Amino acid sequence: MELAEITKTVISLARKVDEKNITLTPESALVADLGLESVQIIEFLCEVEDHFDIVIGEDSLADVVTVSDLAELVYHLSREKKL
Amino acid sequence: MSLLSNFELAESRKKQLEGLPINPTGVVLEKIVSPTEALINGKIVILAGTNNYLGLTFSKDCIDAGIRSLETQGTGTTGSRMANGTYSGHLELEREIAELYSMPYSMVFSTGYSANLGTMAALLDENNAVLIDSEAHASLFDGCRMSGAEVFRFKHNDPSSLEKRLQRLGERANSTLIIVEGLYSIRGDCAPLREFAELKESYNSYLLVDEAHSLGLYGRYGRGLADQLDILDKTDFIVGTFSKSLGTIGGFCVSKHPQLGLFKYSSRPYIFTASPSPAVIASTRSAIKLMKEGDHLRKNAWESARNLHGALESIGLDLHPIPSPVIGVSFQSEEVAIQFWNILLESGIYTNLILPPAAPGGGAVIRCSVTAAHSVEQINKIGACFKSIAKELGLSKAA
Repeated sequence: MELAEITKTVISLARKVDEKNITLTPESALVADLGLESVQIIEFLCEVEDHFDIVIGEDSLADVVTVSDLAELVYHLSREKKL
Repeated sequence: MSLLSNFELAESRKKQLEGLPINPTGVVLEKIVSPTEALINGKIVILAGTNNYLGLTFSKDCIDAGIRSLETQGTGTTGSRMANGTYSGHLELEREIAELYSMPYSMVFSTGYSANLGTMAALLDENNAVLIDSEAHASLFDGCRMSGAEVFRFKHNDPSSLEKRLQRLGERANSTLIIVEGLYSIRGDCAPLREFAELKESYNSYLLVDEAHSLGLYGRYGRGLADQLDILDKTDFIVGTFSKSLGTIGGFCVSKHPQLGLFKYSSRPYIFTASPSPAVIASTRSAIKLMKEGDHLRKNAWESARNLHGALESIGLDLHPIPSPVIGVSFQSEEVAIQFWNILLESGIYTNLILPPAAPGGGAVIRCSVTAAHSVEQINKIGACFKSIAKELGLSKAA
Protein backbone atom coordinates (compact mmCIF):
# COMPACT_ATOMS: atom_id res chain seq x y z
CA MET A 1 0.00 0.00 0.00
CA GLU A 2 1.33 3.42 -0.92
CA LEU A 3 1.81 6.25 1.57
CA ALA A 4 -1.07 8.33 0.20
CA GLU A 5 -3.47 5.44 0.57
CA ILE A 6 -2.20 4.70 4.10
CA THR A 7 -2.68 8.36 5.01
CA LYS A 8 -6.28 8.23 3.77
CA THR A 9 -6.95 5.08 5.80
CA VAL A 10 -5.39 6.55 8.96
CA ILE A 11 -7.64 9.62 8.53
CA SER A 12 -10.71 7.43 8.17
CA LEU A 13 -9.76 5.46 11.31
CA ALA A 14 -9.13 8.72 13.19
CA ARG A 15 -12.59 9.98 12.20
CA LYS A 16 -14.11 7.20 14.29
CA VAL A 17 -12.56 8.64 17.45
CA ASP A 18 -12.82 12.29 16.48
CA GLU A 19 -15.36 13.51 19.04
CA LYS A 20 -14.72 17.16 18.08
CA ASN A 21 -15.77 16.42 14.51
CA ILE A 22 -12.97 18.49 13.03
CA THR A 23 -11.81 18.38 9.44
CA LEU A 24 -8.90 15.98 9.50
CA THR A 25 -5.91 16.52 7.25
CA PRO A 26 -2.48 14.87 7.14
CA GLU A 27 -1.24 17.82 9.24
CA SER A 28 -3.81 17.32 12.04
CA ALA A 29 -2.15 16.68 15.39
CA LEU A 30 -3.40 13.49 17.04
CA VAL A 31 -3.42 14.86 20.58
CA ALA A 32 -3.73 18.63 20.20
CA ASP A 33 -6.32 18.71 17.39
CA LEU A 34 -8.29 15.54 18.08
CA GLY A 35 -8.15 16.20 21.83
CA LEU A 36 -7.85 12.50 22.58
CA GLU A 37 -7.19 11.27 26.10
CA SER A 38 -4.32 8.79 26.44
CA VAL A 39 -6.72 5.84 26.67
CA GLN A 40 -8.44 6.85 23.44
CA ILE A 41 -5.06 7.21 21.74
CA ILE A 42 -4.23 3.64 22.73
CA GLU A 43 -7.56 2.36 21.41
CA PHE A 44 -7.00 4.26 18.17
CA LEU A 45 -3.47 2.90 17.78
CA CYS A 46 -4.74 -0.65 18.39
CA GLU A 47 -7.25 -0.10 15.57
CA VAL A 48 -4.47 1.15 13.29
CA GLU A 49 -2.31 -1.87 14.17
CA ASP A 50 -5.17 -4.30 13.54
CA HIS A 51 -6.12 -2.67 10.26
CA PHE A 52 -2.58 -2.82 8.85
CA ASP A 53 -1.65 -6.07 10.63
CA ILE A 54 1.43 -4.57 12.28
CA VAL A 55 2.66 -3.85 15.80
CA ILE A 56 3.80 -0.36 16.78
CA GLY A 57 6.39 -0.18 19.55
CA GLU A 58 6.08 2.59 22.14
CA ASP A 59 9.53 3.97 21.32
CA SER A 60 8.66 4.48 17.66
CA LEU A 61 5.76 6.71 18.69
CA ALA A 62 8.04 9.27 20.30
CA ASP A 63 8.27 11.36 17.13
CA VAL A 64 4.67 10.90 16.00
CA VAL A 65 2.68 14.12 16.28
CA THR A 66 0.48 14.32 13.20
CA VAL A 67 -1.64 11.98 11.11
CA SER A 68 1.06 12.18 8.47
CA ASP A 69 3.79 11.11 10.96
CA LEU A 70 1.71 8.09 11.91
CA ALA A 71 1.01 7.21 8.28
CA GLU A 72 4.74 7.30 7.52
CA LEU A 73 5.46 5.04 10.49
CA VAL A 74 2.78 2.60 9.32
CA TYR A 75 4.24 2.71 5.79
CA HIS A 76 7.72 1.81 7.05
CA LEU A 77 6.49 -0.93 9.40
CA SER A 78 4.39 -2.46 6.62
CA ARG A 79 7.37 -2.49 4.28
CA GLU A 80 9.65 -4.01 6.94
CA LYS A 81 7.11 -6.79 7.44
CA LYS A 82 7.24 -7.67 3.74
CA LEU A 83 11.05 -7.77 3.58
CA MET B 1 12.93 26.34 26.21
CA SER B 2 14.25 26.63 29.75
CA LEU B 3 14.64 23.61 32.02
CA LEU B 4 11.95 24.87 34.37
CA SER B 5 9.39 25.31 31.60
CA ASN B 6 8.99 21.52 31.83
CA PHE B 7 6.76 22.24 34.81
CA GLU B 8 4.15 24.25 32.92
CA LEU B 9 1.82 21.26 32.53
CA ALA B 10 2.19 20.28 36.20
CA GLU B 11 1.55 23.89 37.22
CA SER B 12 -1.65 24.08 35.22
CA ARG B 13 -2.87 20.74 36.67
CA LYS B 14 -2.05 21.99 40.18
CA LYS B 15 -4.05 25.19 39.63
CA GLN B 16 -6.99 23.18 38.32
CA LEU B 17 -6.99 20.84 41.34
CA GLU B 18 -6.52 23.69 43.82
CA GLY B 19 -9.55 25.40 42.31
CA LEU B 20 -11.80 22.55 43.48
CA PRO B 21 -13.72 22.80 46.77
CA ILE B 22 -11.47 20.05 48.18
CA ASN B 23 -8.30 19.11 46.30
CA PRO B 24 -8.55 15.30 45.92
CA THR B 25 -4.77 14.98 45.83
CA GLY B 26 -4.33 17.07 48.96
CA VAL B 27 -6.43 15.16 51.49
CA VAL B 28 -4.63 14.76 54.81
CA LEU B 29 -5.51 11.98 57.22
CA GLU B 30 -4.98 14.02 60.38
CA LYS B 31 -5.40 11.01 62.63
CA ILE B 32 -5.92 7.34 61.82
CA VAL B 33 -8.52 5.98 64.20
CA SER B 34 -8.77 2.40 62.93
CA PRO B 35 -8.37 0.50 59.64
CA THR B 36 -11.71 1.96 58.56
CA GLU B 37 -11.86 5.43 60.13
CA ALA B 38 -9.75 8.58 60.12
CA LEU B 39 -9.94 12.24 61.02
CA ILE B 40 -10.10 14.40 57.88
CA ASN B 41 -10.72 18.16 58.04
CA GLY B 42 -11.43 17.75 61.75
CA LYS B 43 -14.17 15.18 61.20
CA ILE B 44 -14.25 11.38 61.59
CA VAL B 45 -14.87 9.77 58.22
CA ILE B 46 -15.26 6.19 57.01
CA LEU B 47 -12.34 5.14 54.85
CA ALA B 48 -13.73 3.60 51.68
CA GLY B 49 -10.69 4.34 49.56
CA THR B 50 -7.69 2.46 50.95
CA ASN B 51 -5.95 -0.73 49.84
CA ASN B 52 -6.14 -2.22 53.32
CA TYR B 53 -8.20 -5.15 52.01
CA LEU B 54 -7.65 -7.52 54.92
CA GLY B 55 -7.78 -4.70 57.47
CA LEU B 56 -4.42 -5.72 58.94
CA THR B 57 -2.86 -2.28 59.57
CA PHE B 58 -3.81 -2.40 63.25
CA SER B 59 -3.28 -6.15 63.73
CA LYS B 60 -1.79 -6.75 67.18
CA ASP B 61 0.42 -9.55 65.85
CA CYS B 62 1.89 -7.31 63.13
CA ILE B 63 2.39 -4.36 65.46
CA ASP B 64 3.99 -6.51 68.19
CA ALA B 65 6.34 -8.12 65.67
CA GLY B 66 7.33 -4.67 64.40
CA ILE B 67 7.96 -3.31 67.90
CA ARG B 68 10.04 -6.33 68.92
CA SER B 69 12.11 -5.94 65.79
CA LEU B 70 12.57 -2.19 66.30
CA GLU B 71 13.80 -2.81 69.82
CA THR B 72 16.17 -5.63 68.95
CA GLN B 73 17.34 -4.76 65.41
CA GLY B 74 17.04 -0.99 65.21
CA THR B 75 15.25 1.37 62.89
CA GLY B 76 16.87 0.53 59.56
CA THR B 77 19.49 -1.52 57.78
CA THR B 78 21.24 1.53 56.29
CA GLY B 79 22.38 -0.49 53.30
CA SER B 80 21.69 -2.43 50.14
CA ARG B 81 20.76 -6.09 50.11
CA MET B 82 24.06 -6.60 48.26
CA ALA B 83 26.08 -5.08 51.10
CA ASN B 84 25.09 -4.80 54.74
CA GLY B 85 21.30 -4.81 54.17
CA THR B 86 20.49 -8.51 54.26
CA TYR B 87 19.40 -9.63 57.72
CA SER B 88 18.17 -13.12 58.47
CA GLY B 89 14.58 -11.76 58.44
CA HIS B 90 14.88 -10.77 54.76
CA LEU B 91 15.94 -14.30 53.84
CA GLU B 92 13.24 -15.84 56.03
CA LEU B 93 10.59 -13.70 54.34
CA GLU B 94 11.86 -14.76 50.90
CA ARG B 95 11.76 -18.40 51.98
CA GLU B 96 8.21 -17.98 53.32
CA ILE B 97 6.97 -16.34 50.10
CA ALA B 98 8.51 -19.11 47.98
CA GLU B 99 6.88 -21.67 50.27
CA LEU B 100 3.51 -19.87 50.05
CA TYR B 101 3.54 -20.28 46.26
CA SER B 102 5.26 -23.67 46.26
CA MET B 103 7.86 -22.13 43.97
CA PRO B 104 11.59 -22.38 44.58
CA TYR B 105 12.67 -18.75 44.10
CA SER B 106 11.58 -15.44 45.55
CA MET B 107 13.03 -11.95 45.95
CA VAL B 108 11.98 -9.16 48.28
CA PHE B 109 12.23 -5.51 47.21
CA SER B 110 11.89 -2.28 49.19
CA THR B 111 8.58 -1.26 47.57
CA GLY B 112 6.03 -2.70 45.18
CA TYR B 113 7.15 -0.13 42.64
CA SER B 114 10.78 -1.24 42.87
CA ALA B 115 9.69 -4.90 42.66
CA ASN B 116 8.18 -4.20 39.25
CA LEU B 117 11.02 -1.98 38.15
CA GLY B 118 13.63 -4.42 39.41
CA THR B 119 11.98 -7.49 37.91
CA MET B 120 11.61 -5.99 34.42
CA ALA B 121 15.06 -4.41 34.49
CA ALA B 122 16.67 -7.76 35.29
CA LEU B 123 14.50 -9.94 33.13
CA LEU B 124 14.41 -7.98 29.88
CA ASP B 125 16.79 -6.21 27.56
CA GLU B 126 16.62 -4.52 24.16
CA ASN B 127 16.43 -7.90 22.40
CA ASN B 128 13.12 -8.77 24.04
CA ALA B 129 9.57 -7.76 23.26
CA VAL B 130 6.90 -7.09 25.83
CA LEU B 131 3.16 -7.36 25.31
CA ILE B 132 1.51 -5.41 28.09
CA ASP B 133 -2.13 -4.77 28.93
CA SER B 134 -2.93 -1.16 28.04
CA GLU B 135 -4.28 -0.49 31.55
CA ALA B 136 -1.40 -2.06 33.46
CA HIS B 137 0.09 -0.08 36.34
CA ALA B 138 2.64 2.65 35.63
CA SER B 139 5.35 0.75 37.51
CA LEU B 140 5.12 -2.09 34.98
CA PHE B 141 5.52 0.33 32.07
CA ASP B 142 8.38 2.10 33.86
CA GLY B 143 10.14 -1.22 34.41
CA CYS B 144 9.78 -2.11 30.73
CA ARG B 145 11.17 1.27 29.68
CA MET B 146 14.08 0.90 32.07
CA SER B 147 14.93 -2.49 30.55
CA GLY B 148 15.12 -1.15 26.99
CA ALA B 149 12.79 -3.89 25.71
CA GLU B 150 10.45 -3.13 22.83
CA VAL B 151 7.03 -2.44 24.33
CA PHE B 152 3.74 -3.21 22.59
CA ARG B 153 0.35 -2.68 24.20
CA PHE B 154 -2.72 -4.80 23.67
CA LYS B 155 -6.32 -3.86 24.46
CA HIS B 156 -7.26 -4.13 28.10
CA ASN B 157 -8.31 -7.66 29.14
CA ASP B 158 -8.70 -8.69 25.49
CA PRO B 159 -7.19 -12.11 24.64
CA SER B 160 -7.91 -11.69 20.91
CA SER B 161 -5.99 -8.39 20.88
CA LEU B 162 -3.08 -10.18 22.59
CA GLU B 163 -3.18 -13.10 20.16
CA LYS B 164 -3.11 -10.86 17.08
CA ARG B 165 0.04 -9.22 18.40
CA LEU B 166 1.66 -12.55 19.29
CA GLN B 167 0.99 -13.69 15.73
CA ARG B 168 2.52 -10.51 14.30
CA LEU B 169 5.64 -10.92 16.40
CA GLY B 170 6.28 -14.27 14.69
CA GLU B 171 9.37 -16.03 16.01
CA ARG B 172 9.95 -13.23 18.51
CA ALA B 173 6.91 -14.40 20.44
CA ASN B 174 8.96 -17.08 22.14
CA SER B 175 11.17 -14.49 23.84
CA THR B 176 8.25 -12.20 24.62
CA LEU B 177 6.99 -11.42 28.09
CA ILE B 178 3.22 -10.97 28.50
CA ILE B 179 2.45 -8.62 31.38
CA VAL B 180 -0.96 -8.41 33.04
CA GLU B 181 -2.45 -7.73 36.45
CA GLY B 182 -4.82 -9.93 38.43
CA LEU B 183 -7.35 -7.43 39.81
CA TYR B 184 -7.25 -3.97 38.22
CA SER B 185 -7.29 -1.18 40.76
CA ILE B 186 -9.54 1.45 39.18
CA ARG B 187 -12.67 -0.36 38.01
CA GLY B 188 -12.13 -3.59 39.96
CA ASP B 189 -12.18 -5.87 36.93
CA CYS B 190 -10.19 -9.11 36.78
CA ALA B 191 -7.98 -10.32 33.96
CA PRO B 192 -9.06 -13.37 31.92
CA LEU B 193 -5.93 -15.14 33.12
CA ARG B 194 -6.89 -18.61 31.86
CA GLU B 195 -7.14 -17.32 28.30
CA PHE B 196 -3.90 -15.39 28.64
CA ALA B 197 -2.15 -18.48 30.05
CA GLU B 198 -3.39 -20.60 27.13
CA LEU B 199 -2.00 -18.08 24.66
CA LYS B 200 1.29 -17.98 26.52
CA GLU B 201 1.51 -21.76 26.21
CA SER B 202 0.53 -21.78 22.51
CA TYR B 203 3.14 -19.21 21.56
CA ASN B 204 5.87 -20.38 23.98
CA SER B 205 5.97 -16.93 25.54
CA TYR B 206 6.37 -15.98 29.20
CA LEU B 207 3.66 -14.71 31.52
CA LEU B 208 4.05 -12.27 34.40
CA VAL B 209 1.06 -11.53 36.63
CA ASP B 210 1.04 -8.57 39.01
CA GLU B 211 -1.12 -9.58 41.95
CA ALA B 212 -0.76 -6.23 43.76
CA HIS B 213 -4.50 -5.85 44.35
CA SER B 214 -5.53 -9.51 44.20
CA LEU B 215 -3.11 -10.77 46.85
CA GLY B 216 -4.97 -11.65 50.05
CA LEU B 217 -8.37 -11.65 48.36
CA TYR B 218 -8.30 -14.44 45.77
CA GLY B 219 -7.07 -18.03 45.78
CA ARG B 220 -6.06 -20.47 48.48
CA TYR B 221 -4.31 -18.68 51.36
CA GLY B 222 -4.96 -15.42 49.49
CA ARG B 223 -2.26 -16.22 46.93
CA GLY B 224 -4.06 -14.28 44.22
CA LEU B 225 -6.05 -14.66 41.02
CA ALA B 226 -3.57 -16.92 39.20
CA ASP B 227 -4.04 -19.45 41.99
CA GLN B 228 -7.82 -19.04 42.05
CA LEU B 229 -7.97 -19.72 38.30
CA ASP B 230 -5.56 -22.63 38.68
CA ILE B 231 -2.88 -21.31 36.33
CA LEU B 232 0.01 -20.87 38.79
CA ASP B 233 1.94 -23.63 37.00
CA LYS B 234 1.63 -21.71 33.73
CA THR B 235 2.69 -18.39 35.27
CA ASP B 236 6.39 -17.66 34.97
CA PHE B 237 6.61 -14.72 37.36
CA ILE B 238 4.28 -13.40 40.04
CA VAL B 239 4.94 -9.94 41.43
CA GLY B 240 3.14 -8.36 44.33
CA THR B 241 3.25 -5.77 47.04
CA PHE B 242 3.14 -5.78 50.82
CA SER B 243 1.52 -2.34 50.92
CA LYS B 244 -2.06 -3.37 50.26
CA SER B 245 -3.56 -6.51 51.82
CA LEU B 246 -0.50 -7.00 54.03
CA GLY B 247 -0.61 -3.44 55.40
CA THR B 248 3.15 -2.74 55.37
CA ILE B 249 5.48 -1.71 52.53
CA GLY B 250 7.68 -3.64 50.12
CA GLY B 251 7.28 -5.94 47.17
CA PHE B 252 8.25 -9.35 45.88
CA CYS B 253 8.77 -11.49 42.81
CA VAL B 254 8.34 -15.27 42.96
CA SER B 255 9.06 -17.76 40.20
CA LYS B 256 9.66 -21.33 39.18
CA HIS B 257 12.66 -20.23 37.11
CA PRO B 258 16.06 -20.53 38.82
CA GLN B 259 17.20 -17.39 36.97
CA LEU B 260 15.26 -15.33 39.49
CA GLY B 261 18.07 -16.15 41.91
CA LEU B 262 20.44 -14.28 39.56
CA PHE B 263 18.35 -11.10 39.41
CA LYS B 264 20.17 -9.73 42.40
CA TYR B 265 23.36 -9.47 40.37
CA SER B 266 21.75 -7.42 37.63
CA SER B 267 18.67 -5.67 38.98
CA ARG B 268 19.62 -2.06 39.61
CA PRO B 269 16.44 -1.16 41.55
CA TYR B 270 17.29 -4.05 43.89
CA ILE B 271 20.96 -3.23 44.24
CA PHE B 272 21.01 0.55 44.47
CA THR B 273 18.60 1.14 47.31
CA ALA B 274 18.46 0.43 51.01
CA SER B 275 16.76 -2.81 52.00
CA PRO B 276 13.44 -2.80 53.89
CA SER B 277 13.76 -2.05 57.61
CA PRO B 278 13.78 -5.05 59.96
CA ALA B 279 10.51 -3.87 61.55
CA VAL B 280 8.76 -3.78 58.18
CA ILE B 281 10.05 -7.27 57.42
CA ALA B 282 8.87 -8.57 60.80
CA SER B 283 5.37 -7.06 60.43
CA THR B 284 5.12 -8.38 56.88
CA ARG B 285 6.01 -11.91 57.98
CA SER B 286 3.25 -11.75 60.60
CA ALA B 287 0.82 -10.37 58.02
CA ILE B 288 1.58 -13.20 55.58
CA LYS B 289 0.85 -15.72 58.34
CA LEU B 290 -2.47 -13.97 59.04
CA MET B 291 -3.27 -13.85 55.31
CA LYS B 292 -2.64 -17.60 54.95
CA GLU B 293 -4.93 -18.33 57.88
CA GLY B 294 -7.31 -15.54 56.89
CA ASP B 295 -10.31 -17.26 55.30
CA HIS B 296 -12.50 -15.37 57.80
CA LEU B 297 -10.94 -12.08 56.68
CA ARG B 298 -11.56 -12.89 53.02
CA LYS B 299 -15.14 -13.86 53.87
CA ASN B 300 -15.72 -10.47 55.56
CA ALA B 301 -14.12 -8.51 52.73
CA TRP B 302 -16.14 -10.35 50.09
CA GLU B 303 -19.41 -9.97 52.00
CA SER B 304 -18.80 -6.24 52.22
CA ALA B 305 -17.83 -6.14 48.53
CA ARG B 306 -21.01 -7.89 47.42
CA ASN B 307 -23.20 -5.78 49.72
CA LEU B 308 -21.76 -2.47 48.58
CA HIS B 309 -21.68 -3.51 44.93
CA GLY B 310 -25.35 -4.55 45.17
CA ALA B 311 -26.28 -1.25 46.81
CA LEU B 312 -24.52 0.86 44.18
CA GLU B 313 -25.82 -1.26 41.32
CA SER B 314 -29.40 -0.86 42.55
CA ILE B 315 -28.97 2.93 42.37
CA GLY B 316 -28.15 2.58 38.68
CA LEU B 317 -24.56 3.79 38.83
CA ASP B 318 -22.08 2.71 36.16
CA LEU B 319 -20.03 -0.14 37.70
CA HIS B 320 -18.15 -3.18 36.51
CA PRO B 321 -20.84 -5.91 36.62
CA ILE B 322 -18.84 -8.41 38.68
CA PRO B 323 -18.31 -7.47 42.33
CA SER B 324 -14.85 -7.23 43.84
CA PRO B 325 -13.44 -5.40 46.86
CA VAL B 326 -12.55 -2.59 44.42
CA ILE B 327 -15.67 -0.88 43.11
CA GLY B 328 -15.10 1.83 40.54
CA VAL B 329 -18.05 4.08 39.74
CA SER B 330 -17.60 5.62 36.28
CA PHE B 331 -18.85 9.09 35.37
CA GLN B 332 -19.01 10.54 31.88
CA SER B 333 -18.66 14.04 33.30
CA GLU B 334 -15.54 14.98 35.24
CA GLU B 335 -17.45 17.87 36.88
CA VAL B 336 -20.22 15.59 38.18
CA ALA B 337 -17.66 13.13 39.55
CA ILE B 338 -15.85 15.95 41.38
CA GLN B 339 -19.11 17.24 42.84
CA PHE B 340 -20.18 13.71 43.87
CA TRP B 341 -16.82 13.01 45.50
CA ASN B 342 -16.91 16.29 47.44
CA ILE B 343 -20.38 15.62 48.82
CA LEU B 344 -19.32 12.10 49.79
CA LEU B 345 -16.41 13.48 51.80
CA GLU B 346 -18.58 16.15 53.40
CA SER B 347 -21.01 13.35 54.32
CA GLY B 348 -18.23 11.44 56.08
CA ILE B 349 -17.14 8.98 53.36
CA TYR B 350 -13.61 9.06 51.97
CA THR B 351 -13.21 7.52 48.50
CA ASN B 352 -10.64 7.98 45.73
CA LEU B 353 -11.33 10.37 42.88
CA ILE B 354 -9.61 9.31 39.66
CA LEU B 355 -9.52 12.02 37.00
CA PRO B 356 -8.27 11.88 33.40
CA PRO B 357 -5.73 10.83 32.24
CA ALA B 358 -5.59 8.26 35.07
CA ALA B 359 -9.22 7.15 34.60
CA PRO B 360 -9.56 4.47 31.93
CA GLY B 361 -11.96 5.07 29.03
CA GLY B 362 -12.25 8.83 29.50
CA GLY B 363 -14.49 10.51 32.09
CA ALA B 364 -13.73 10.07 35.78
CA VAL B 365 -14.03 7.34 38.38
CA ILE B 366 -14.92 7.36 42.06
CA ARG B 367 -13.09 4.36 43.40
CA CYS B 368 -14.42 2.65 46.53
CA SER B 369 -12.65 -0.16 48.24
CA VAL B 370 -13.84 -2.31 51.12
CA THR B 371 -11.86 -4.14 53.76
CA ALA B 372 -12.35 -7.11 56.04
CA ALA B 373 -12.56 -4.61 58.89
CA HIS B 374 -15.60 -2.67 57.65
CA SER B 375 -18.74 -3.29 59.70
CA VAL B 376 -22.13 -3.96 58.15
CA GLU B 377 -23.24 -0.54 59.46
CA GLN B 378 -20.33 1.21 57.75
CA ILE B 379 -21.05 -0.52 54.43
CA ASN B 380 -24.73 0.40 54.74
CA LYS B 381 -23.80 4.01 55.46
CA ILE B 382 -21.54 4.17 52.39
CA GLY B 383 -24.35 2.74 50.23
CA ALA B 384 -26.92 5.14 51.71
CA CYS B 385 -24.68 8.17 51.07
CA PHE B 386 -24.17 7.14 47.44
CA LYS B 387 -27.92 6.74 47.07
CA SER B 388 -28.81 10.12 48.49
CA ILE B 389 -26.10 11.96 46.49
CA ALA B 390 -27.08 10.17 43.26
CA LYS B 391 -30.66 11.28 43.86
CA GLU B 392 -29.58 14.85 44.64
CA LEU B 393 -27.56 15.01 41.42
CA GLY B 394 -30.24 13.32 39.33
CA LEU B 395 -28.14 10.24 38.63
CA SER B 396 -30.20 7.46 40.23
CA LYS B 397 -32.59 5.16 38.39
CA ALA B 398 -35.52 6.77 40.17
CA ALA B 399 -34.37 10.27 39.27
